[in-house]
Amino acid sequence: MRTVYGLGILFLCVLALVFAAGIVFGEATNRWLFGGALVGGLLIAYSFVLLLMRKLGLIGPRKAER
Amino acid sequence: MSAGSVRPGRYGRMMTSVLRGTLRLDVLVNRVYPTDFNPLYYTGGLSNLFLLTLVLTGIFLFFYYVPSLGGAYESVEYVTRTVPYGDIIRGVHRYAADGFVVAVLLHLFRNWFTDRYLFSRDNPWISGMILLLFAGFIGVTGYQLVWDDRAVAVTTMLMAMLQSIPAVGPVLVRLFLGGAGVSDATLVRVLMLHIFPASALYLLLWWHYIRLRHPKIWPPAVWVLFCLGLVFLLAGVIPAISTTAATPATQPAAMPLDVFFLWPFALLNILPPGGVVIVLVVSFALGLAIPYVSRREAPVEMGVRHAGVAQVIDGNCTGCELCYFDCPYNAIVMVPSPAPGLSKAAQNRTLLAVVIESRCVECGICIGACPFEALELPKFLERDIRAQVTDALRAEAVPT
Amino acid sequence: MKVVGFVCDWSVDLHPLLDRQQLRGVSGVHIIRVPCSGFVRPAWVEDALSAGADGVFVTGCPYGDCLNREGNYLMRDRIDALQRRLQRRRIDPARMAMLAHGLHDGDAFVAEVRAFVERLQQMKTSAGAP
Repeated sequence: MRTVYGLGILFLCVLALVFAAGIVFGEATNRWLFGGALVGGLLIAYSFVLLLMRKLGLIGPRKAER
Repeated sequence: MSAGSVRPGRYGRMMTSVLRGTLRLDVLVNRVYPTDFNPLYYTGGLSNLFLLTLVLTGIFLFFYYVPSLGGAYESVEYVTRTVPYGDIIRGVHRYAADGFVVAVLLHLFRNWFTDRYLFSRDNPWISGMILLLFAGFIGVTGYQLVWDDRAVAVTTMLMAMLQSIPAVGPVLVRLFLGGAGVSDATLVRVLMLHIFPASALYLLLWWHYIRLRHPKIWPPAVWVLFCLGLVFLLAGVIPAISTTAATPATQPAAMPLDVFFLWPFALLNILPPGGVVIVLVVSFALGLAIPYVSRREAPVEMGVRHAGVAQVIDGNCTGCELCYFDCPYNAIVMVPSPAPGLSKAAQNRTLLAVVIESRCVECGICIGACPFEALELPKFLERDIRAQVTDALRAEAVPT
Repeated sequence: MKVVGFVCDWSVDLHPLLDRQQLRGVSGVHIIRVPCSGFVRPAWVEDALSAGADGVFVTGCPYGDCLNREGNYLMRDRIDALQRRLQRRRIDPARMAMLAHGLHDGDAFVAEVRAFVERLQQMKTSAGAP
């Protein structure tokens, strides 16, 4: 299961890089809606990276809940 | 002692099964997310997140908006078409508003179904209902500000509803419109009615938090990222656009309505304006009444759970402040001690704990915090608990 | 085996699990109901352990969902603080536990209590053996 989580993190990071490139592209060609949608996709990918890292035990509960 | 010999009535049993269903949802979510990431435990924080997003994007949009009949539509189109990322910010504003309503309704239903409005928690409940009312109103005025076909239709329908209120109807309509009919003055007032209640929300939030210690006002990072990402994604994929520009000859026609904010206007299809006003007023009044009539069980049915307000045993209190720090409802305050205590440890005290009875929810957390046996719950006395422990250790094991 | 459990009213649903005051399915576990897991004084846990209980546990709501918002966190912190005190008194801190279960978690709750009781059995037999 841990390898699945690890692969998931890897996949999401690659996806995030692709999204970031797309954002720059959107910025350069004045396609603001396209760039904005990719910003959204990037943030969602980051949220799942954090979830998977939590399931791997790499990060713990935030201070208020420790 | 069994949980009460009186059986709760039909309403109580229905609410209990609703509670069970709500918590069953938790179980499903807890399979995917660790419990301290469960978004259902942070519905208030999620609402706050969407509110902040709305305020920030709203300030951006405010810089470009022109509140006049001729200029409003043009200014919104300018932001949407010409300003870099203006269309995204406008979309985020729109979808964060929908997200806000979803989060707030989740918050409302969850706190209702899990009995989190009892005792002094009626303060967050009442302030929350008023927050909901303001939020609905802010959403409606937001749709009006764009001054497209839909805005004209909404304005007409809103005026019809205001007009139907007996005695004050026509006065309200004139106040709202800034005169006998729609004019530039109207949009200025609508803008004020959009921004001022939005600022008042923060004042109401002060009331909403005041009876709680450490209110959870911000969700975990995972959910901040996810919700922000979702509104940006939606803004990019389904752009927020105006319908056709309003002209003086515009006749309101059929058009799709945002279900989150404009549902009262959809009701106008089946009810007269006065009827819709009555529906809204009655729903709001019922909502306000919930903390006072919605208990699943009467205190006598609760049996052991009705514990009695915490009592300070004056002679034992040393003024150590541990109960004061632990009470989740700020129901304990420390006062200068009027006289020394009775026990040895309490002789030299400078402070004395006092329970504010109207704030106490009878949870007993202060009893657990106190090392000096200076607090008691009337129905759960220390000696009764110790007697139960002694009985447990003496009893024979029941064969399994 | 004598185990005492303080179970919060709002946490796991005890109706199907109790046979008078004892837990069905695990022998020797007595349940005391409390209005919130934060109500339990560490002194009661300590005194139960020195008065002849083999183990004591406190059960509250899942972390994040306490009806009184912080009761289960506060109790968990008190149990953690009690570890040191028990060590000084030569009472094995593994004889006490903090559990967190919601309304529908009856099976998980009974399973965790059973595992706790088995650990206590092992500690007892390995301590008893010369």
